[in-house]
Amino acid sequence: MTDDDFLTAPVPEPLADASPSERAHAKTFADIVDKAVSGRAPAAMSADDRALLEVATVIRATHGNAELAPEKRRSIVEDVLRQAVGGSRPAPSTLSSPMGVVRGRFAPWLVAGSSTLVAAAAMLVLWLRAPATAPTPQAPVAEAPMSWMSRPADPLFGPIAREQAGNASDRIDYLFADRLDGYRERRLSSGGAR
Amino acid sequence: MKTANVGAVVGVLLLAGAMFLTGRASVPAPPPCPTETNVTHVKDGRDVISDDLMVALDQAKNFHRKAKVYMSDGNLAAATSTVREILSLPFPKGAPEADDVRLDARALLAKLLVMQGQIDEATRTVDEGLAAVQRESFFVANLYTVRGEILEAKATNIDAENAGDKTKSADVRRAAIEAYDKSIQINEKLQKQLVEHK
Repeated sequence: MTDDDFLTAPVPEPLADASPSERAHAKTFADIVDKAVSGRAPAAMSADDRALLEVATVIRATHGNAELAPEKRRSIVEDVLRQAVGGSRPAPSTLSSPMGVVRGRFAPWLVAGSSTLVAAAAMLVLWLRAPATAPTPQAPVAEAPMSWMSRPADPLFGPIAREQAGNASDRIDYLFADRLDGYRERRLSSGGAR
Repeated sequence: MKTANVGAVVGVLLLAGAMFLTGRASVPAPPPCPTETNVTHVKDGRDVISDDLMVALDQAKNFHRKAKVYMSDGNLAAATSTVREILSLPFPKGAPEADDVRLDARALLAKLLVMQGQIDEATRTVDEGLAAVQRESFFVANLYTVRGEILEAKATNIDAENAGDKTKSADVRRAAIEAYDKSIQINEKLQKQLVEHK
């Protein structure tokens, strides 16, 4: 049976026994699946088998049975961390040696320690440099006209004659009118503080 | 191994934070651009004529008007209590107008009390005002004038009680003269200052 037989051969009866060629093909495909699961998928296979194998892999992955080997997992994590700090990707062979394993175990600590030291140094420099801040130019402050200001009422009245000593009512009227002028002037001027 | 990985990530984050801070520190802050408001910014916002000051002055004006109506109606007691209200009006803290308005109200209040024969209460009203004075003004001088008037009235009462024996009221008269002198002295000093400033 060739690859084309699947498409061109007559459809067997549902309850019919499997033919020897079908059994042989099923066994071959089962072997391919077993090898793929154990990470030894054959490099060459028929297009139909490859399509079926991909479907089988997807089905297996969706059932949560796909799991990387611990070494493979560790290797991937370390590669990602190295890439994050700008390091080069190590050759796979270095991890397999005893020194490589030790280096791989301590590498994250080395990265963490050195980056923390650099961060501390940067913050120290920042802190030491902070007092030397340039004086910020101040916005110009204009003198407010005297009429806008709260001030003693003396100049409005001068000395109060004895016969006017109790005439506070007239004085408060005059004082109120004077302050109202200044208040309105300030409020209505374009630059006046509101 | 897991802890080591977490440590590495924390270190990287710390480094990134430090780089961020250093970068920010090296960027000079833009100078404040003058806006229409701060170009004419008043030196001290507390010193300008504020809403609160205007409200207080308006209240004082209204109380004086009300007291005037009571006085024209002969109701001196109501006028007195109305003028008292002015003394407790809330003015902005440190507003010079507050002192002036209160001193002037005390002068009127004392006169109203004298008109009702309450000489001691009038004296107390004036003395309380003079005790709280923090700067000399024409209103302070006016209050000394009123104090002199009160003491004159007191001396007259003492004379009447002693059948015209003026020896017993001599001290009070002397105190009245001192009050008038103080008023004159303050007025002269302030007038001189005003002339110098013009």
